Amino acid sequence: MDIPMLPLLLIVPLIGAIVTLFMKKDKKHSRYAAIIFSAVTLVITLYFIYDLWSADLVSSESYKWVDTSFLKIGFDVGVDGMSMLMIMLTSVLVLLVSVFTDSESDRPNSFFALILAMEVGLMGVYMAQDYFLFYIFWEVTLIPMFFLISGWGGPRRHYAAIKFFIYTHVASLVMLIGIFALVTEAAAGGALDFSFASVKAASAGFAPLFQTVMFGLLFFGFAVKMPLVPFHTWLPDAHVEAPTAGSVLLAAVMLKMGSYGIIRICLDVLPEGAKDWQNIMIVLAIVAILYGAYACIAQKDLKKMVAFSSISHMGMVLLGIATLSGEGIQFAIFMMFAHGLITSVLFMVCGIAGHNIGTREIPLLGGLAGKMPIFAAFMMFGFLASLGLPGLVGFPAEFGIIMSYFEYLQSIDLLWLVVFALMSLLLTAGYYLWAAQRTLFGRETEKVDLSKVHDVSRSEALALGVVCALIALFGLMPSIVMNMLANMPIILTGVV
Amino acid sequence: MAFITLQDVTDVLMPILPIFILIVAALIAPAIGTKNGKAAGAFTMIAAILALIVTGYYLYDGYTDPFMNLFAFNDFTGLMAAMFLVVLFLVAMVSLSGSESRKHHGEYYSLLIAATIGMIMVSGAKDMIILFIGIELTSITSYALVAFKKNDPRSAESAVKYLIIGGISTALSLYGISLLYGLSGSTNIAVIADFLAQGSYSWTYIVGVITLIAGLGFKVAMVPFHSWAPDVYEGAPTPVTTFLAVGSKKMGFIAFFKIFLLMFILAQAFGGLPEMQWLFAIMAAVTMTFGNVIAISQTSIKRMLAYSSIAQAGYILIVLAVASEYALAGGIFHMIMHVFMKGGAFIVVAALAARGLGENISDYRGLSRRAPLVAVAMMLFMFSLAGIPPLGGFWSKFILFSSGIPDGTWIWLIALAVINSAISLYYYARVVKAMFVDKPLVTEKVKVPASFKVAIAICTIAVIFVGIYPMPIIELCEAAAAAFPL
Repeated sequence: MDIPMLPLLLIVPLIGAIVTLFMKKDKKHSRYAAIIFSAVTLVITLYFIYDLWSADLVSSESYKWVDTSFLKIGFDVGVDGMSMLMIMLTSVLVLLVSVFTDSESDRPNSFFALILAMEVGLMGVYMAQDYFLFYIFWEVTLIPMFFLISGWGGPRRHYAAIKFFIYTHVASLVMLIGIFALVTEAAAGGALDFSFASVKAASAGFAPLFQTVMFGLLFFGFAVKMPLVPFHTWLPDAHVEAPTAGSVLLAAVMLKMGSYGIIRICLDVLPEGAKDWQNIMIVLAIVAILYGAYACIAQKDLKKMVAFSSISHMGMVLLGIATLSGEGIQFAIFMMFAHGLITSVLFMVCGIAGHNIGTREIPLLGGLAGKMPIFAAFMMFGFLASLGLPGLVGFPAEFGIIMSYFEYLQSIDLLWLVVFALMSLLLTAGYYLWAAQRTLFGRETEKVDLSKVHDVSRSEALALGVVCALIALFGLMPSIVMNMLANMPIILTGVV
Repeated sequence: MAFITLQDVTDVLMPILPIFILIVAALIAPAIGTKNGKAAGAFTMIAAILALIVTGYYLYDGYTDPFMNLFAFNDFTGLMAAMFLVVLFLVAMVSLSGSESRKHHGEYYSLLIAATIGMIMVSGAKDMIILFIGIELTSITSYALVAFKKNDPRSAESAVKYLIIGGISTALSLYGISLLYGLSGSTNIAVIADFLAQGSYSWTYIVGVITLIAGLGFKVAMVPFHSWAPDVYEGAPTPVTTFLAVGSKKMGFIAFFKIFLLMFILAQAFGGLPEMQWLFAIMAAVTMTFGNVIAISQTSIKRMLAYSSIAQAGYILIVLAVASEYALAGGIFHMIMHVFMKGGAFIVVAALAARGLGENISDYRGLSRRAPLVAVAMMLFMFSLAGIPPLGGFWSKFILFSSGIPDGTWIWLIALAVINSAISLYYYARVVKAMFVDKPLVTEKVKVPASFKVAIAICTIAVIFVGIYPMPIIELCEAAAAAFPL
């Protein structure tokens, strides 16, 4: 292909961010600009998928960035099925949150510019084929999110933003040390070559102990981002304080950077390390799944509940990865995609609740179904999708992961351990249905004034409707996504 | 036949053509300045561009030629000369708005040009005498420049301080040079460096080298010879501060490289001089740590930038510890980026001072609402100085620091430099916080004069462009480093 397609996916949102920043200062113009630029990005993404479909979605482009006798850093970008899926998710959701956010009146130019800047960083992470580039984009995503939370967030936004920044930044510094160690080891005294390919080529010679230590460093960096349970405390704070658009991008796309990194880097170049860490990963996954679900039951804030459910579902992703089988990883990636769609419905619904009703406290709500029927329908749809109702996208993902886990347990003769994973299904259904019962059904609440509350606006309904349609589409035809992933080497062979 | 043809004259003049242009300009500038200060400034800028074009052509052409075994034009000289000419251009431009003094504009620009001539002489010097004359030319003109705000007692005080300390450092270097001449029997730098490289330590050798290090150490504000820098930087007119911080300091480094780096490179044939390299490594470590730690507690932005300059000097001294061609390339790269990021920061300070803003960090509160574009530029300079990717300062630091990795001896120094960079982020980020997070006391817009705007724009574009596409300048720096040992 002659046109540099992949850099285009970075350049278009970047130009969009700059243009948006200098639009006329009222809430309409900058939003339209953001919608146009993210729509163009989506069109490019879709054309790219269509174009590459016959080539198993593999494409890469390489430009020299720094090339001296001692340092080789390339502007290497490339995609495979997993990257493409994440890029698609990013471009769809950036467009939809721009459509969704129709009432941002506080500095709208900067708000939409930050969202588009966020898109640049996310796209970059998912297409980087060079450790250096990967790290830079990884850090680039931090900055817009920090400003989104601290500039447009709730009452405790400064605390939440700083906490978010410190947690994830420390994690990425640990990851950076890991990256430097990997590259130095791969260089073996020669020039430091940061490209994925050259490290991969040298990875066969990595000693088992080195692999175990490096896996630990990199896994820590990614685990904080995912987030796994001992390192998760930044997430509920960040979500509760973040504006809706920020929450959607944070949960739906940014958390996936963690699991993406584990599959792309840890499993790929450190297979021996992965085997050493397998049991710990499974334990961490089960803890995250159960703790997240259990914490959901106790939450009073609807948004905090959704945040904890994210922790639980990301635990499910790790469980799939931790089986180290091709099938488990394939379903884990599918779960990342599914959770991205589902959680954005949930956060949009929470945003509408906070915005239209004025509170997200579950005990204060009740009987919303009568007052806001469309809202209630979307909320119920999101809940059902998230608890894994067959026919919606969450079901095949969770089913596949638990099946791979079951197979793994069968191979080590510890079948009874599957109970823990199954318990999560029960808990999830429990907290969602209980929350729905308390907020949507029953008598109309008298604790908040519902007389002036209006239902979802047209653009909110449009954004929610599109995501719900996608949830149903991929729930009925999961094979579309599964086929995108089927030819990745790691899925064909698993971790060997 | 002994006739001198035109060809002979041009042959002789070719290598020093950029200097020749500047000499002519320095002589004409005062005459223009008596009538119109701005015209003299514009004339200086034109002269700088003219000399820059010649230098650029030489660099492009790969021209190398010595001038009577005293001065040589090669890739190293060319790149350094280009750097100094850019500094001259920027400083002349920001001096245009003429807030300093209505009188003596011509002399001001003439002094600036003369100082630049001295810097270029040092970068091309093959002989200790030329080196010394270059240093002196720059120093003496700088004393006058620092004192240019005659009615301001702070300016006068810092000029006196600068004069006395400068005089001592000159005396020390001259003493060192004369001892080394006595030992080696030549004033040729290569001969002296070759003699020193053999490492036959004697008392004369040690005293000569130490006094020379001390003398040059004053010029680059290396700890413990740094104490003049914050006072002088604070007291001098801000354009002159810019000139000192990004111009004459670099000249000191080049003089260091000319003698000591050459000596280390030559010494590799005789088994190296590890003791001397350790000396520089320790001085680098102390200088960067001291500069960064003291910078944290500063409230005046000029003093903060002065201490951060000391820290940056510590980073550049890594070149002398590591003493490899790659390190030199990194050092040159960092010096060039320092021109734009530190120069840019000082120009922002000057621009705001010209509009009555104070020079304390607290005066910058809420600047993002009063002068948004200037605040963004200042943020970029601060982040570039801290070494945040993908800005120019990141790459130069990255290449400079990474040069210490292959030789395992200097890992500790590199680790310290990285820790220092992390510390420095704190005080740079404080300025950014003041500008973007804190609420302004007054909300009226600050209108920056046009000449400052252009200078700030040039620096900003350089910092961003090199950040995104660093390869061309890295190649230039590598070529310069390869051409370095003359």
